[in-house]
Amino acid sequence: MTSRVLISLRVAATPERAFDVFTSEIGAWWRPNDLFRFTPRPPGRLAFERGIGGRFIETLANGKVFEIGRITAWEPGRRLAFTWRQASFAPDQVTTVEVRFEPVGAETRVTVEHRGWDSVPQEHVARHGFPNAVFLQRHGEWWQQLLRGYSDRLS
Amino acid sequence: MSSRLDRTLAALADPHRRRVVELLRERPRRAGELARALRLNPPALSRHLRTLKAGGLIEEVHPAFDARVRIFSLRPKPMADLKAWLAETERMWSEQLAAFKAHLERRA
Repeated sequence: MTSRVLISLRVAATPERAFDVFTSEIGAWWRPNDLFRFTPRPPGRLAFERGIGGRFIETLANGKVFEIGRITAWEPGRRLAFTWRQASFAPDQVTTVEVRFEPVGAETRVTVEHRGWDSVPQEHVARHGFPNAVFLQRHGEWWQQLLRGYSDRLS
Repeated sequence: MSSRLDRTLAALADPHRRRVVELLRERPRRAGELARALRLNPPALSRHLRTLKAGGLIEEVHPAFDARVRIFSLRPKPMADLKAWLAETERMWSEQLAAFKAHLERRA
């Protein structure tokens, strides 16, 4: 039983190239996000150490390295999976990310599945000061979607 | 720290309890009304309601005119927090993948 986020988009490249750019150039294309900052310090540069067991790291301006997670699947041109922890998570809290690369004609569909947000503390939300509007929006729909998600997962 | 969300999710892992949440989504209801709708005897219903309360999903109020009457309604907060996280995570990845695509295709 886990909550997940699923996002996908098509890119004009082969799966091999998409995988390669995703992993080896993440330091260039990643956009730091305030809510998902890995450490309390100003954002640094991200990098993957290639291969299973390799680290997913952020190198900060002061040279310190923060380990965000470890690579758990490394299948060039097909699939990448890694763990993801932010410094503010409690020790037992971890989320996992899986990225799939699938050919669609001459292009590639890149799908990101981020799981495990139900392990993240609720206090975390408050600390980052979500705008109230986020909470107040569409209460009814929240319930509906959540229940639908549940029945899908359980069926 | 995650125990509250765990409880919330565990509370929903039962068809009777999900049905209670669905019924309360329409409006607050009395315990008796819920028992009839679910065809459960009062002790069985009470157990489910206790679990939902412990999960922070529902709350119980008593009308001023009769303290013996129990009225249950949904609490929006716990699910709202999880939902907000998921919505924000989704937005974050949409932005990341858009940035990835722009980077990749610029250099193509």
